[in-house]
Amino acid sequence: MQIEQKLLNEINARLERQDANGGNGWASTRRLAAGAFKDMGLPTRRSEAYKYTPVAKRFTDNLSLENEAGTVQATRALEQLDGIHLSTTNGLLDSVPAHLPSGLTISSLVDAYQGNRVFVNDHLSRAFVAERDAFSSLAAAAAEDGILIHVAANTAVDQTIVIHHDNVSSSGLVQPRLLVVADKGASVQIIEHFGHAGASSAFENRIAEMMVADGGSIDHVLIFERSEEATFVNGLHVYQEGSSHYATNTITLGGGMVRNNLHFLPDGEECETHLNGLYIARGSQHIDNHTFVDHAKPNCESNELFKGIVADTATGVFNGKILVRQDSQKINAYQSSKSILLDRSASIYAKPELEIYADDVRCSHGATTGELDEDALFYLRARGIPAEKARLLLLEAFARDVVDLIKEGSVRDYLYARLHAILEAHAS
Amino acid sequence: MLTIKNLHASIEEDGTEILKGLDLTVNAGEVHAIMGPNGSGKSTLASVLAGREDYEVTEGSIDFDGEDLLEMETDERAREGLFLAFQYPVELPGVSMSNFLKQAVNSVREHRGEEPLSAGDFLKLMKEKAALVHLDPSLKTRSVNEGFSGGEKKRNEIFQLAMLDPKLAILDETDSGLDIDALRIVADGVNDLRGEDRAFVVITHYQRLLDYIVPDFVHVLVDGKIVMSGGKELALELEEKGYDWIKADTGQAV
Repeated sequence: MQIEQKLLNEINARLERQDANGGNGWASTRRLAAGAFKDMGLPTRRSEAYKYTPVAKRFTDNLSLENEAGTVQATRALEQLDGIHLSTTNGLLDSVPAHLPSGLTISSLVDAYQGNRVFVNDHLSRAFVAERDAFSSLAAAAAEDGILIHVAANTAVDQTIVIHHDNVSSSGLVQPRLLVVADKGASVQIIEHFGHAGASSAFENRIAEMMVADGGSIDHVLIFERSEEATFVNGLHVYQEGSSHYATNTITLGGGMVRNNLHFLPDGEECETHLNGLYIARGSQHIDNHTFVDHAKPNCESNELFKGIVADTATGVFNGKILVRQDSQKINAYQSSKSILLDRSASIYAKPELEIYADDVRCSHGATTGELDEDALFYLRARGIPAEKARLLLLEAFARDVVDLIKEGSVRDYLYARLHAILEAHAS
Repeated sequence: MLTIKNLHASIEEDGTEILKGLDLTVNAGEVHAIMGPNGSGKSTLASVLAGREDYEVTEGSIDFDGEDLLEMETDERAREGLFLAFQYPVELPGVSMSNFLKQAVNSVREHRGEEPLSAGDFLKLMKEKAALVHLDPSLKTRSVNEGFSGGEKKRNEIFQLAMLDPKLAILDETDSGLDIDALRIVADGVNDLRGEDRAFVVITHYQRLLDYIVPDFVHVLVDGKIVMSGGKELALELEEKGYDWIKADTGQAV
C-alpha cells in the first residue's frame, strides 16, 4: 500500500472514532486538509522543490500515527531567560500557565476552537495554502490538537514566551499545529527550542501559522537541536496585515534531515519582514531552508539573510524565492545567502529565485559558497594565532552574524556557546 | 637576528622566479630600509619572511635568531617574534579587535612561557598602545579593519606591532596611501618602538617615509637581488636620481 494511503487511512480511522465519541468540530478542518493532501501526495524527487531533499523517503512503513512509543526528554536550555516558559509533549502543551499577563491567551487549539470557532476559523490558513504544501496539509490533517497563542489588540507582551519542545516520541510521526495571533497593535516575542532528544528517531512534521494584524509585531526564534536520527519538517506560514513587523531567526544545529519551509505573505502595505537563518550541518546531516516571500502589496520591505556551514558528508540546501506581484510597487527586498564548505565531501545547493512583475522595486540577492577566506586566515596566523584557533575564530564570526540579529541577549549567549562547542570540532 | 643567504623564491602557481639570490643581514637594534622600483620583489620578500604559501623558496636560507625560519609555520614565526605590518590589512567582519588581540597576545605569551593577561591588564595594555598611534580605544568593539579608513588600517598595524612586542618588524609599504599627517603618526609610533632588542625592515618605494623613520642602512632591491647598500644618504641619492641611475651604475636591468 502506498504510504500516502496508509497515512490517510489512519487519519480517517481516527476522525471516525472521534465522530463516534461526539466529535468536536475540529475534525472538519482536518478533513479539508486530508483532502488536499490526498490530491497532492508526498513530493517525490522529481518535484523541483524537493529535488535535493528526499524527505518523503524518511516515511518508512514503521512510521505510524498510531504511536505507542514512549517519549524521550530533550535537553533543556534557556531556562534562565526571564519569560513565560511553556513545555510541550509532541508539540502539545503539558499545562497551561496559571498566571498570564492580561491580553495574552495561551491554550490548546481544540479548546480555543470549541470556545470560539469563528475566531479560530478566521485565523487559521491565512498564509497556508493547503493545496500547495503536502507536508503542512498532512500535519493539518493529522493534528489532533495544537497550541494557540493570542495577543489582544494593543497589548505589548513584555516577557518572552519560551516554548520548550521538551518531550518527543521516541519514534513515529509527530504532527502538531501552532497558531500565533497578534491582533492590531499587539506585540510578542516567541522562542521555540527543540532540544537534543537522545535516541528519538521521531519525524516531527509541524504546521505553524503566525498572523500579525495591522501595526502588530511578532519576533520569532526557533532553535532546532534534535539528534541525527530525527527528521523535521517545519512548515511556517506567516500572514501580515499592513504596517506590521515580523522577524524570524531559524537556527538549525541538529536533526538528520531538516526541511524548513518558511512562507511569508505580507498582505498589506508598509510591512517589514525579516527572515534570517543559520544552519550547521555535520556528519551526514541534511539541512534544507526553503523560503518564499510573496510580496502581494506595495510599499513593503523584506530582509533575508541565511548562512550555513557544511562539514563532513553533510548537505546544505537553500532556496530563496521572492515574488513581487504586478501591482506591488515600491518593494525593497534584499536577500543574501552565504555558505562555507569545510570538507570536499560536503555539498551545498543554493538557489535564489526572484520573480518580479512590478517595475518600481528594489530587489537584490547575493549567494556565495566557498571555503574559509585564505587571506583572513593568513592575517590571523601572522599575528601568532595557531591555525585551528584562527579557523574557529573565522567560523564563529561567520555564524554569529545571524545570531547577532536575535534581540534576546541570553539566547545570543546560549547560541554563542553552542556554536563554539560545535565549531571547535570542525576547526582542526 | 636575521640572516638571509642567497634567497631564491618563485610564485607557487606558475613558477616565476621573483627573488634571485638575495642576501641580507639585520642585527638587533638596527633599522634597514629596502627600496626598489615596482616589481623588484620587495613585497615578495615580506611575504616570504612571513610565510605566505603563495611563494616557494627554491634555494637559500633564512636564519632567525639561530633558528631556520623556513621550517616554521606562519603562526610559529609570529610567536617567535617576527611581525609583518601588511601593505593591505585584511578586514575580518565579525571578529572584534579585542577578541583578535587577546588571542594574538596570549598565543605569543603562552609561547614565551608567560601567563595569559588578565582582562584588566589586557585593557590597560590596549589603551596604552592605542595611544601610541592615536587610535580611539573604542575601536576594541569594532571588527578588525572593517570600516577603517586607509590611515586607520595602517595605524592599526603599528598598534598590533606594539601589542605583540616582536623582535623583528617588517613594514611592507606602510607609507602607501597615507597623507602626511597619518604618515607622521605612523612614523612616531614606530620610532617609539625602536630599541636595542628590536630590529626593523622598512620596505618602501619612496624616500618620504625615511625622513621620519631614519634608517641605519638602505638597500636597493632590483630584479630580486640587493644591488646596492649604504647609509641613510643613499635614500636621498635615489630620490634625486631615480632608480634608472642604479641601472647605469650597476649594469642591472631596471
